[in-house]
Amino acid sequence: MFKLKVTDAKLLRDMATAISILVDEATFKIEPDGLKLRAMDPSRVAMIDFEWPKTIFEEYVCNEPTKMCINISELLKLLKRASKDEAVELSLDDKTGRLQVKITGKYSRDFTMPTLEASEEEVPTPKIAFNVKAKTTTQGLSQAIEDAQLVSDHVRIEADPEKLVLNAAGDLMGATITLQKGNDALLELEAKEGSKATFSLSYLAEIIKAASATSDIATLEFSTDMPIRIDFQQQKEGKLTFFLAPRIETD
Amino acid sequence: MQIRVIADLHIHSRYSRATSQQLSIKEIARYAKIKGLQLVGTGDFTHPLWLREIRETLTSDADSGLYKLIGNPEVPMRFMLTTEACTIFNYNNQSKKVHHVIFTPSIDHAVQINDKLCKYGSLSADGRPILNMTAPQLVEEVMQVSTENMIFPAHAWTPWFSVFGAFSGFDSIDDCYQDMTKHIYALETGLSSDPPMNWRLSKLDRFTLVSNSDSHSFWPWRMGREANVFELERVTYGEVTDAIRTKDTKRFKFTIETDPAYGKYHWTGHRNCNVSLSPAEARKFSNICPVCRRKLTEGVEQRVEDLADRPAEFKDSNAPGFMRLMPLSEIIAAVLNVESPSTQAVWKIYNSLVDNFGDEYTVLIDAPKETLNQVVDQPVAAAIISVREGSVKVVPGYDGVYGKLVLSPPAGASAPNLLRGSVQQKNLADFW
Repeated sequence: MFKLKVTDAKLLRDMATAISILVDEATFKIEPDGLKLRAMDPSRVAMIDFEWPKTIFEEYVCNEPTKMCINISELLKLLKRASKDEAVELSLDDKTGRLQVKITGKYSRDFTMPTLEASEEEVPTPKIAFNVKAKTTTQGLSQAIEDAQLVSDHVRIEADPEKLVLNAAGDLMGATITLQKGNDALLELEAKEGSKATFSLSYLAEIIKAASATSDIATLEFSTDMPIRIDFQQQKEGKLTFFLAPRIETD
Repeated sequence: MQIRVIADLHIHSRYSRATSQQLSIKEIARYAKIKGLQLVGTGDFTHPLWLREIRETLTSDADSGLYKLIGNPEVPMRFMLTTEACTIFNYNNQSKKVHHVIFTPSIDHAVQINDKLCKYGSLSADGRPILNMTAPQLVEEVMQVSTENMIFPAHAWTPWFSVFGAFSGFDSIDDCYQDMTKHIYALETGLSSDPPMNWRLSKLDRFTLVSNSDSHSFWPWRMGREANVFELERVTYGEVTDAIRTKDTKRFKFTIETDPAYGKYHWTGHRNCNVSLSPAEARKFSNICPVCRRKLTEGVEQRVEDLADRPAEFKDSNAPGFMRLMPLSEIIAAVLNVESPSTQAVWKIYNSLVDNFGDEYTVLIDAPKETLNQVVDQPVAAAIISVREGSVKVVPGYDGVYGKLVLSPPAGASAPNLLRGSVQQKNLADFW
């Protein structure tokens, strides 16, 4: 049996939004200690690694570990029907295999939706020794990415012990965004060695926009020409981390 | 005595969409001669205005089933009546869009075909008419007019509008043509595939592979870029079509092919996203564009790999051979490092070569290196020889973008980069 309940629908809705930017069909691992999801987008450029411990929920019941695959966009449509302070209850009907979504507040709504065949693929996380670790405000990071998007579809992220720099170069225009140690947007910076890597701005922008609803602080870890790891510190408990593969610049 | 005939049997008139408005029978004849062709398709005989121009400018060539220019004997160019038609139909609840090439031996035959096809769509709307009929229906109608007519799938692998197209095609010729497959003897390989790629499918062994330009202009870097080389006792419609039907390597000697990478759909990719991927790379991205995250346009090389049941190096010893060439204008443009083959600097060198050797194919195939060096600068002569010897590379075309010729670097220089764009997206699986 699986059942969970949150008193604030926004929590679930924001998380479903963050997942939906990469994944259409999400296979959750439902375990006695909480809910987990690790999945890549279809082109395998980005990965989401998400965990919610059972303590985050008002109610959480899982008698035995299981997997549940759902169409995350369809779930999101239902969750968007709930107001901010309405409660949401998800439960899996073992007999029918359908997910029941109950929204209670001003009045009560009961939806059901099908579950899909769960993916058996165990996705590993990239094995990378990161040379740079930068803690930023999510808002500051989001604005820097928006600045870069004005001129290009990709951005080179560079760091040395003193600063984090985002360089974007388009066909006609360019942009350099500098987050210096001591700036409000840059909370911490550790750089074992100067590093730089280039990433797709469309992925970065979508990830940061979606995750910013759940987090005020983002930690970036990267090395030269390696995937970036962005961890969004959750306002309560839990983990929301993204990996994004780099784009390699050639002559 | 055998007569060598180089034939491009699939081109278009100015009445087809996206074609040069200067395309006239006379201009086609003029540039076909410069190219070195002896036989060229009229294209578009289904279009009433083009058929009128055919009647007004061509005359029957001694009942050979071919035509020649009226009152212009110094241009010994022969024409075959040809057209291309697009059938749109449903098969297993999927929309199928397939292009076909049709040959016919006389204007009377052409008129009878047009009388039948006009029931299925407007023939005057486009030189390549769109017909609401199935592929087997089209074959049946054409063959009912005369069994001398010939019909076969055009550019068989392009993603759109072809028999094996990734988007709206089939996995086999029989699925497309059903009981009318018995009338299909050939298939056109298209620019993005070549005979070795097609030999990888054993189910294509019984078809003769033909190569044509599908040109939308008369410029020599378009017309005749792919062609068929016959050696015939008499140059007649019957001899040409019989050589194709019987896959007779004594008469159908070889095809002229561009490097398949030159074709606009060789690799998988997205033109607007500047993404171009080999089959292996595209599979790593699950055929999803890493930039816009929509489905990629599957290239011909990947589609062939999907359907192939033989290794890449398989050779069909019973088939006509092939020769790999590139348009002379493209070679000169690559040497001069200019984007367009139509610049005056390219034309100047092109004209001097054609003036000296007679036509473009003679320059590309036969001209001795020493003589080439006397006519043009050494880099141009060396590039022509490199293309002839197959020692050039082509940056693969993708999603409507032509491939780009890359000449061999000088001794000691690094190998050319065959990847497009300055930024290549990696995949997370590359880091496991």
